[in-house]
Amino acid sequence: MKSSHFFRILHMTILSFMFVSFKIYALENTDERVKNLTLELRCMTCQNQSIYDSDAEFSNDIKKIVKQKLLEGKSERDIKIFLVDRYGEYILFRPLMNYNNIFLWSFPFILLIFGLFFVLIKIKTKKV
Amino acid sequence: MSSLFGFLSLIFATGINFYLFFSRYILRFQSQRFNFFIRLSSLLTLLSFFSLMYAYIISDFSNYNVFQNSHSNKPLIYKISGTWGNHEGSMLLWLSTLSIFSFFFSFTKNIEDDFKKLTLIIQSFLHILFSLFIIFTSNPFLVNSILVNEGLGLNPILQDPGLAVHPPVLYAGYIGYSIVFSIAIAGLFQNKDDEWLYVAKKWSLISWTFLTGGIALGSYWAYYELGWGGWWFWDPVENISLMPWIAGLALVHSLMMVRGEQAIKKWIVFLSILCFSLSVFGTFLVRSGILTSVHSFAADASRGIFILLIFFIVTGFGFLVFLLKEPKKSNSLNLLFINKVSALVINNILMIIATLTILLGTIYPIIIEVLYNKRISVGGPYFNSTVIPIMIPGFLLMSIAPILSWQTNKIINSKKYALGFIILSILVLIQSFFLEFNTWGLVGLLLGFWIILASIIAICSSYKVKFTIKFFQIINPHIAHIGVGIAIIGITCSSIFQTELDFNLNEGDKFNVNGKMVLFEEIATTNQINFQSLRGKFLFDIEKDESRKIEAGKNYYPVSKMITSEAGILHQWNKDIYFILGDQKNNEWFVKVLINPFVSFIWLGVIIMMYSGLIAVTRR
Repeated sequence: MKSSHFFRILHMTILSFMFVSFKIYALENTDERVKNLTLELRCMTCQNQSIYDSDAEFSNDIKKIVKQKLLEGKSERDIKIFLVDRYGEYILFRPLMNYNNIFLWSFPFILLIFGLFFVLIKIKTKKV
Repeated sequence: MSSLFGFLSLIFATGINFYLFFSRYILRFQSQRFNFFIRLSSLLTLLSFFSLMYAYIISDFSNYNVFQNSHSNKPLIYKISGTWGNHEGSMLLWLSTLSIFSFFFSFTKNIEDDFKKLTLIIQSFLHILFSLFIIFTSNPFLVNSILVNEGLGLNPILQDPGLAVHPPVLYAGYIGYSIVFSIAIAGLFQNKDDEWLYVAKKWSLISWTFLTGGIALGSYWAYYELGWGGWWFWDPVENISLMPWIAGLALVHSLMMVRGEQAIKKWIVFLSILCFSLSVFGTFLVRSGILTSVHSFAADASRGIFILLIFFIVTGFGFLVFLLKEPKKSNSLNLLFINKVSALVINNILMIIATLTILLGTIYPIIIEVLYNKRISVGGPYFNSTVIPIMIPGFLLMSIAPILSWQTNKIINSKKYALGFIILSILVLIQSFFLEFNTWGLVGLLLGFWIILASIIAICSSYKVKFTIKFFQIINPHIAHIGVGIAIIGITCSSIFQTELDFNLNEGDKFNVNGKMVLFEEIATTNQINFQSLRGKFLFDIEKDESRKIEAGKNYYPVSKMITSEAGILHQWNKDIYFILGDQKNNEWFVKVLINPFVSFIWLGVIIMMYSGLIAVTRR
């Protein structure tokens, strides 16, 4: 079948892409890590702005703290826990994956599985 | 005076709609007489809206609403846009838009009279709900109890041309779905033939096009006015407009299946009800203040509860009719791996999952606050890591969907596509290795280019290229998808390959941006009619003769004591150079320069999608 051939090639290309990209993903420097982390933090004195994007005093302080802690060798998780203790979970744009947020994080994927299931049942496998 | 006039027209219009909805004889009316009443009520509602606008234009501060939200030294355009720059006025705009849609619908020719009447009666019902809401909780025609000769001013953030036209366009999108809703309900009651599906398709395309325009205007405004360098922030207010947009997209695509004689009526009716429900729900979330905090909602709950009630009536009524008068089971779907029908079904499922995920993410903080009295944020990172992966298979499918066949699972010219895909992947991979490597960047670029390439292959190999109207109608789905591809490239480049440069500068300093020398000329302050402005003036590319001027700075609005930032943007076809003037420290100005590659592609893509929406309206 022509079409299955086509999809096999498609899959191969996508898989090789993913492989290459993961190898390169590991390289990042401190500034980059500060950026990635502060992009996920809310500036508490602004309106729906991330700490990275904001130039408010609050944000600049947090940026300094984050950079310092990263240089000290703290992990991103440690820093997040530190900030949540200080300012509450409200500071995190990416909600923690904890008991309260199980539903939030699993919901899309449950729906996805249901959707997949539905399609698999309904699709006719016989060839026309 | 104009306020009294406006209020009376509003009352009369509501009265007519009460008559239309509750009179038992109405269905026996000749359609001409019936249409006359509908049009009269529409005109009265519009009259009411324009008299409020008139009060704004002449700065009639005896109207409490004008006094609260306007100021006599505002430019005329912001006096006009001030009409809908506040809660009461925007609800009147909502009602007027509803009337306009009913008005135009009453001229539709190719449907049965009874069906049209029923649709319009449901519109009347919606009209009654919203006008009662306006009259009892948000009357814009209240008289000011004190005598004043100056108003309190309009929120400076709203004093911007983009945001002045944003609400009417967005509302046209939201409320366009009211017609689709009414048609679907009427279709359930009078389950005769499938003619109504074609009518619904036309109106859902119109609403979707408006909604696209409204959202794009809003995000373009955020781009140049907020001065953060981005154009989409997954802000709750943005999410709210995105939900009916995605659901509406699913609806438009489902209605395509009608053409393939694969009508899945049940699903279409469900989506029609969902779209309008989401629009009303969005209005509830924005207007009740519940988004900022549950406590601010509780402080003035009457409005919020009223809209919530409307939401439950509309949704409840819609889904109740849906359950009781379920459409007859249509012929079962011809789902194959993979033909057009299954591609559309999968895309629909993905779109609905995306919509529901956005909905959950938007209301989750509210739920948590109510349950645990704790505030959390669900922001960009959540949506980026849920919604985008969900959409990616959809985008992949979309690239080939228009050429799939309805009946069989054969793909015409599959070799050409495979070859095209492989060459494209190699090119994109090489490009990303030599420039800057980023996984998401690679995926985005590949997707974008692939969608465009596949659409072009499809156009060239399946149809004879002619420059007639009919040809453009036939290739329209491909054109729409090319628009999406272009937008994906723009979105990927501008969000992932954005570069940021920070400078601390004195006046007269020269600095290097992207290989071009820029001169920081001076800081200038000027007094405008209703604000004071502070501008950093820059000359871009001073080594060339035709260097470009860029001004970035801030405005201070004394009436409302607010500062807004004004980014200076140099638009080029392949990148925007975005200047933000920060604060002065130790006699040096902080200047942030962002280079946003290919932002213009986003707007181009959106314009192409809107064009396609309009072309699709013309085709049956």
